[in-house]
Amino acid sequence: MIQDYVVFVGVNIVLAWSVYVILLAGSLSFANGGFMAIGAYVSGVLTVKFGVPLVVAAPIAGIAAGVIGVLVGFPALRTRGIYLMLVTVGVAVSVKAVIESIDYVGGIQGFGGMVGTTPWHVLGLVALVGCGLTLLSKSPLQRILDAVREDELSAASLGINPVYVKLTCFGAGAFLAAVAGSFYAHYLIHISPDQFGIVLSVFIVLYAVLGGTNNMWGPPIGAAIMTLIPEFVRGLEAWRPTAFGLVILVLLLIRPNGLLAFRIATTRTKVALTALDFTGARSD
Amino acid sequence: MIEQIINGVVLGSMYALIAQGYTLVFGVLDKLNFAHGEIFMLGGFICVASIALGAPLPVAILVTAIIAGLLGLLVEFVGFRKFQSPDAHLTSALSSFAIGLVIIDLSQKIWGAESVAVVLPGTLQTATVSVVGLRIVVLRLAILVISLALMFVLYLVVTRTSLGRRIRAVAESPAKAALFGINVTRVNQQVFFIASMMAGLAGLALALRTGYASSDVGFTFGLKALAIMAIGGMGDLRGAVIGGLLIGVLEAIAFQWDLGQLADVFVWLFMIVILLVRPAGLFGTLISKEVRA
Repeated sequence: MIQDYVVFVGVNIVLAWSVYVILLAGSLSFANGGFMAIGAYVSGVLTVKFGVPLVVAAPIAGIAAGVIGVLVGFPALRTRGIYLMLVTVGVAVSVKAVIESIDYVGGIQGFGGMVGTTPWHVLGLVALVGCGLTLLSKSPLQRILDAVREDELSAASLGINPVYVKLTCFGAGAFLAAVAGSFYAHYLIHISPDQFGIVLSVFIVLYAVLGGTNNMWGPPIGAAIMTLIPEFVRGLEAWRPTAFGLVILVLLLIRPNGLLAFRIATTRTKVALTALDFTGARSD
Repeated sequence: MIEQIINGVVLGSMYALIAQGYTLVFGVLDKLNFAHGEIFMLGGFICVASIALGAPLPVAILVTAIIAGLLGLLVEFVGFRKFQSPDAHLTSALSSFAIGLVIIDLSQKIWGAESVAVVLPGTLQTATVSVVGLRIVVLRLAILVISLALMFVLYLVVTRTSLGRRIRAVAESPAKAALFGINVTRVNQQVFFIASMMAGLAGLALALRTGYASSDVGFTFGLKALAIMAIGGMGDLRGAVIGGLLIGVLEAIAFQWDLGQLADVFVWLFMIVILLVRPAGLFGTLISKEVRA
């Protein structure tokens, strides 16, 4: 039981970080559920059909998804905002539909036989990614990412290539999601395509946004809370999705920047806020 | 083959009805409304419920339109009112998605997770008519005619009435519209009411056409309309209609050739390609900015 909690919370934390990495560079992704599916299936095929050990298969699956992520991301990152949202939703839906039509991995029935994830694997992964992100947040790369996120044009004028930075982050996010997906699949033993629908992708983004994307500790907090809330409201068993949806709404309404949002507002967000006040005071 | 194409056009007219709702909201607020598909889904169930209560079909249609419209007001209030800054498109997408989850769960609580059959009295669902040697179900023809009429009315409202002028002004720039004395919140509410009403009616049409209402059409049918909106041209009413009819026909042909499974992928891939090549959509720039709703 406690094992379940550790694995699911850990996997969700890594997934939330996978979105956080993408948000760091100012793009967004509703495709991480799809990348997770790619990771789960690639590593599953490697371990079940080719006997590759899990700790080797997971990074390979991660690289495969990372490559697909970069291929998808390269054109997609030319678009921004709403358009990027639509493109990544499209990727997530397509990945699921493509997996459903591949008979080699069981099609709609799903694919089984993956074993081997222990809570220690997941804890190790969380620690590893956490260390990596801590190092990142102290490195010059963080400032490059900040520059690209806050103002792409002036970042470019300082000699930073925004497309390259965003693409790297997109690939890294896909990699993380796929590695998390492979551990997830090897814990569940059997996976099927409908576990990786668009709902999952949106939830991964929710983990990160609810926790707060201003610093690296927000997404894990969000992931942990959103994974554990359904367990704590057991009394509301039958009403779980409704309660869950309402909790999400309340959290978004009272803390739109996330639970852990303690970075000082930048000039750009202040300008946006002033603009909001201006239009907010407009009625009548 | 021709019958398949006619089926495709009927399907496409329903896609277009939903896509118009997406496109209205996108045009005015620059936000995606992920609860839209669920209001569409609920339209079918409201129709089921009102027919079960003994209401005749016209009353059921009216009730569906009104309840769906009111739900739209709720979605606007909960999911969008607070997230109006240009940077909030992610937050508003997530909040409207959460509303969608609640709607799905509540409708499954009330009507169960299985699909519910819609039975109309009389032979309305099966009656056919012969047009130049083709047998067409009257109901489908009626759906096609009514949805095209609805879309034409919406087009007239947006281009010819004072409400439409206000909508276009807010779409152009909320701040400037406010300076000219337009109540932007009120316009947003009107847009959500109209969009949701059309989604509800589309849900009703789908329920009547297939003969049952089911709680998963929001994610399959409704989400596809989002892609269609992007294909036709975001924020463009005529684009949504043409995109809807185009995809409906292509999908019907794909089913004819046994490619049904890949039809979903095709729509999304088509959308991705369109967004990369022509971010304004297929018909985005063909229409002047003034007409854009």
